[in-house]
Amino acid sequence: MLFFEDQDSITTAAEGRVEGIAKVTGKGKYAAEYTVENVCYGALVGSTIAAGSIQAIDVTNAKQVKGVLDVLTHQNKPLVPGFADETKIKESRFGLPVFHTDKIFFKGQPIAIVVAETLEDATYAASLVEVTYTTEKFVVDFREAQASTPLSMAGKERGSMEAWSDAQNIVEAEYNIAAEVHNPMEMHATIAHWISQDKLKLYDKNQGVNNVQRTFARLFDIPTDNIEVISEFVGGGFGSGLRVWPHVLATILAARQVNRPVKLMLTRPQMFTAVGYRPQSWQKIKLAADKDGKFLGLLHQAQHSTSVYENFNEGITRIARLVYSIDNLKTESSIVPLNLSTPTWMRGPGDCTGDFAIESAIDELSYVLKKDPVELRMKNLSLEKSPDTGLPWSTNYINECIEKGAARIQWSERKALPGQVKEGDWNIGYGMAVGMWNAGRGNASAAIQMQKDGSLTVQTAMTDIGTGTGTAMQNIASEITGISKQKIKIELGNSTLPPAPSQGGSTGLSSISGAIVAVSKALKQKLADYASVQDEVYKNATTEDIILSESHLSFKTNGNHAIAYTSLWETHNLNVLEVEASSGPGEERQKYSFCSSAAHFCKVRVNSKTGKVKIDRMVCVADGGKIVNAQAAANQMSGAAIGGIGMTLMEEQKVDARVGGLIGNDFAGYHFAVNADAPLIEVDFIHKPDPNINPTGSKGLGEVGIIGCAAAIANAIYNATGKRLRDLPITPDKILLA
Amino acid sequence: MKTEHLYSRRFFLKTAAAFTALAALPSTVKAFYQEVKNFIVPAKQTLPLVVTINKKEYQLSADTRTTLLDLLRENLQLTGTKKGCDHGQCGACTVHVDGERVLSCLTLAAMLPGKKVTTIEGLAVGDKLHPMQQAFIECDGFQCGYCTPGQIMSAVACVKEGHTRSVAEIKEFMSGNLCRCGAYNGIVESIQKVAR
Amino acid sequence: MKPFAFTKAESLPKTLSAKKETTQFIAGGTNLLDLMKKHISQPDELVDITSMLSDKIEAHKKGIRIGAMVRNSTVTLDANILTNYPLLAKAILAGASPQIRNMASAGGNLLQRTRCPYFYDITTPCNKRQPGSGCSAVEGENRMSAIIGYSEQCVAVHPSDFCIALAALDAAVVVTQSNQKNSTIPFSDFHRLPGSTPQQDTNLPANALIHSIEIPVNDFHKNCAYVKVRDRDSYAFALVSVAAALDLKGNTIQEARLASGGVAHKPWRWYEAEQYLKGKEANAVHFKEAAAMAAKDVKPLAHNGFKKLMLQGAIETALQNCLTT
Repeated sequence: MLFFEDQDSITTAAEGRVEGIAKVTGKGKYAAEYTVENVCYGALVGSTIAAGSIQAIDVTNAKQVKGVLDVLTHQNKPLVPGFADETKIKESRFGLPVFHTDKIFFKGQPIAIVVAETLEDATYAASLVEVTYTTEKFVVDFREAQASTPLSMAGKERGSMEAWSDAQNIVEAEYNIAAEVHNPMEMHATIAHWISQDKLKLYDKNQGVNNVQRTFARLFDIPTDNIEVISEFVGGGFGSGLRVWPHVLATILAARQVNRPVKLMLTRPQMFTAVGYRPQSWQKIKLAADKDGKFLGLLHQAQHSTSVYENFNEGITRIARLVYSIDNLKTESSIVPLNLSTPTWMRGPGDCTGDFAIESAIDELSYVLKKDPVELRMKNLSLEKSPDTGLPWSTNYINECIEKGAARIQWSERKALPGQVKEGDWNIGYGMAVGMWNAGRGNASAAIQMQKDGSLTVQTAMTDIGTGTGTAMQNIASEITGISKQKIKIELGNSTLPPAPSQGGSTGLSSISGAIVAVSKALKQKLADYASVQDEVYKNATTEDIILSESHLSFKTNGNHAIAYTSLWETHNLNVLEVEASSGPGEERQKYSFCSSAAHFCKVRVNSKTGKVKIDRMVCVADGGKIVNAQAAANQMSGAAIGGIGMTLMEEQKVDARVGGLIGNDFAGYHFAVNADAPLIEVDFIHKPDPNINPTGSKGLGEVGIIGCAAAIANAIYNATGKRLRDLPITPDKILLA
Repeated sequence: MKTEHLYSRRFFLKTAAAFTALAALPSTVKAFYQEVKNFIVPAKQTLPLVVTINKKEYQLSADTRTTLLDLLRENLQLTGTKKGCDHGQCGACTVHVDGERVLSCLTLAAMLPGKKVTTIEGLAVGDKLHPMQQAFIECDGFQCGYCTPGQIMSAVACVKEGHTRSVAEIKEFMSGNLCRCGAYNGIVESIQKVAR
Repeated sequence: MKPFAFTKAESLPKTLSAKKETTQFIAGGTNLLDLMKKHISQPDELVDITSMLSDKIEAHKKGIRIGAMVRNSTVTLDANILTNYPLLAKAILAGASPQIRNMASAGGNLLQRTRCPYFYDITTPCNKRQPGSGCSAVEGENRMSAIIGYSEQCVAVHPSDFCIALAALDAAVVVTQSNQKNSTIPFSDFHRLPGSTPQQDTNLPANALIHSIEIPVNDFHKNCAYVKVRDRDSYAFALVSVAAALDLKGNTIQEARLASGGVAHKPWRWYEAEQYLKGKEANAVHFKEAAAMAAKDVKPLAHNGFKKLMLQGAIETALQNCLTT
């Protein structure tokens, strides 16, 4: 257990990330940036109604645009075998059977793709496609549709609701959160290239190449290996790349139809309907405590939107069952179908939403009880075991996150009563909240290719969406093998490399790190095997016995029984030494529960005249187990916190109930945080490895960075002003009207 | 202020009628903004252009509609300049024209002759990174890297403009470059490092 | 974009007289290209007028003249403007982004079109985009819409910050007509209220160009402020903005100017409040009264009732800031 002996040995890589130079020079190739000979351009046409069916599509004018190669619609598309009939469509679980239906489920639904020689031609021609619809009644107003789906039990009830019906200290409140859109900076893009009738090459933006590969192998009924998916650089995802979306299939079909490679990049407005979003939600919380602050019971009810053609449930009430020990607990939920595209997982899915309500309610309860919200939380944390599974936590240092964060922000400066600190028109206050996430892990594989000069190439199919996966792989491989980082190259994001799960749900590092440890050890073992031919001492050597240097391997102590790689290569007539290994979760999952956690603290100022909220300080302390790369991990945390600032103060996808669709679906209408909206985020970690989760002891951070931010800010606004804001985003108008 | 009340009833009837029309069966969609029937599709127009990018002169023939951004990405394979919105709302496509930071998505290629364009590909000198590029690596001023070329081009200009006197000033003058990963900490630190 | 012919203007008279209805002039292009990509503006011909227009800021006895081609960022760096007309720089710096300010021309800033989301969404009715099609905002998502001066045909707001400061400073717009004659339009008459013809934003005559903007000498340079309330801290259009300027003798207000963005189809002056402040002591009580006076006239729509409160708060803040910044 090399990592645990010297837990802080890997610090900030002075030279930065493995792909740093590619990113700062613009040389890294994102999906739409590969040069593919003879490529032509696609442009999607979206429906302009929210519900109904297509009566006719007139492509005459569009086809008159010089350079237009074809226009694909449901009438002339090449048939996808996996969509051959209604049953197959259902079984495919693809969601929207693009171009294989004349039905319209939402405004903006792709109904045609124009293919042309240039981007300008394709885009213009797409504006000339004329569609006649038969319209039907649509429902896009979540609030209006809420009553249509009654709540049902979400998980097992604990204790009973009657047990705390006469509780003295109780809060009961409703919380609403607007739909939010991932909007990674790179708009989703695909270049589809049929190399032959049944061989497909895809340059595609996604968070899991094997998932894309499997999906299209099934749909087109061709062997998985016939499809190569390349996603070497991914310009952000936040969940939008975890599914395979209709526009990718549209591009593949277009390429088949015109028999040329086709490139499609979504427009920013299309990004709002084509690749999911965090659904709009409603929650109700009833929470009670005894006079000492011990929680007596919790009722958590939640609803969120879905589409009319698919059921998506992100599990808002899951977090209610995770953090605190509550004897009487009931969670209920339902999903509300709307004529909008299907929502999907977005950073901290479900928990981020649920956490806002629960952590706000706890804050509200703290004022009822006249207790410090930090103390109130500490009193109720379930630190020994998961309250839901009953299994002991492998590690859970959420209490330490809270303590460290409180000290850092100087929590003692906070006034117990709201509205006490004023500077001119500004009211100042402090708030905090916690976040937690089930720390998962998947099966992953990795390979190492070693050259006789001692250089390594470490490979996996896993993508790096910006979290620093490649850098972490390099760090771990270097740590285990002993080969310096400068001599380790990383290859990832390609389906021809050893398979790995999609990068999402904070499982990326947890999954791949195990594979990297395994393959690094396999490399040492293999070298020892070869060495044993030359030197008996290497017989039955374990990986702990082997030391690798830049040019030699040796036994136990440096220089002892040293054998040069060159000699080894020569003796065994090697060109490249290749090893591959897999690693995944095992029986530890039956013994323990696993979690990452974080505590968020902030100091805000609120202008009483303009309603403006400024975040002066934001402190985030996380338990992410072993921190493999401190700089990248801190970046991940602060970035998530800034996502949290956006969620809390400005992000809102507006729906116009009369128009039947989105309005303001661009970056002028949909705001997320710019540089000026965020203070320099202060990040710290607990730095204690989890000995059971995976061989490195690291736990994912991508989700806990955002879970808890919203409530921390809203709670600080209350502390500053005495105004309790329960609807996100908290824009200046809401402050003024509260 | 009299206009406010002049049209009320009649107007609302009309609006209602427009919405009813929208829901009527069948509805044709393009009617709102252009006459599509008997529509003569206008022919594409091209222009000969001489454009200087990263000190290199390009003799081109370009569609009049082509933006500098699409010229770089689709015609010249200079894909370091990124498309994040194509409407001047994100800053990912920031380049320098005559030494000043501008948005290439809102610049017509046809308006470039006589001007000097610098993109992220032209920032390093050979293998030697520009100090801002180096700082972005050292301060981890990115995650996914997609907004990074735009951030760096903007950051170089920000330093040159002298807008680096405080964290607040840097943040304000870098707010035209959105970063969804939220790597703002590292971006500010990179600029501070170079400005020092 | 629809295909178009592109030419570079070589002489102003020729350019003006040859201008057809389907011709559009391009300078900075920051708004026009956006509109063309959205198929909202579909010219057959684009004429590059950048070399036809003055890019100079010239001071003269009666004030200062900003050429139509002066870049927005240049206004914020000009020493004379920073000393004598700082309100202009403050307003410009509150808008757009450094990149856009480097591109956008002063003349173009005056001509930028509304940011009403329905105007930008060609699948929805909009009288400004397609006269007679209806207004989607009046009963739709009108949080950002006008609270004063609107008509039932259009509730869109004017998007510029620069123009709010120009309105406050009683600027004038010099236009060159096709007969090559220059004429002057007072700033308050340059932008229009929507009335029954919301498709027309300004009173700029057809076949005319903005030549320059004149700002008369004033005594507001010591005490002026621009407050912009928006959903995020930068790079966003105003919910409500206020340009405030005070001419003080001791602590007595000789003259006051108050103008707002985000409230109407044109930059809106609060004349009654200005009149009220004249001769008063500059203090919070009077500022509050002036703000209330302005806010009493507004008639918010279904989703922007908050703008009344916000306007009051922003006016008070702006006046207060006149004394400190």
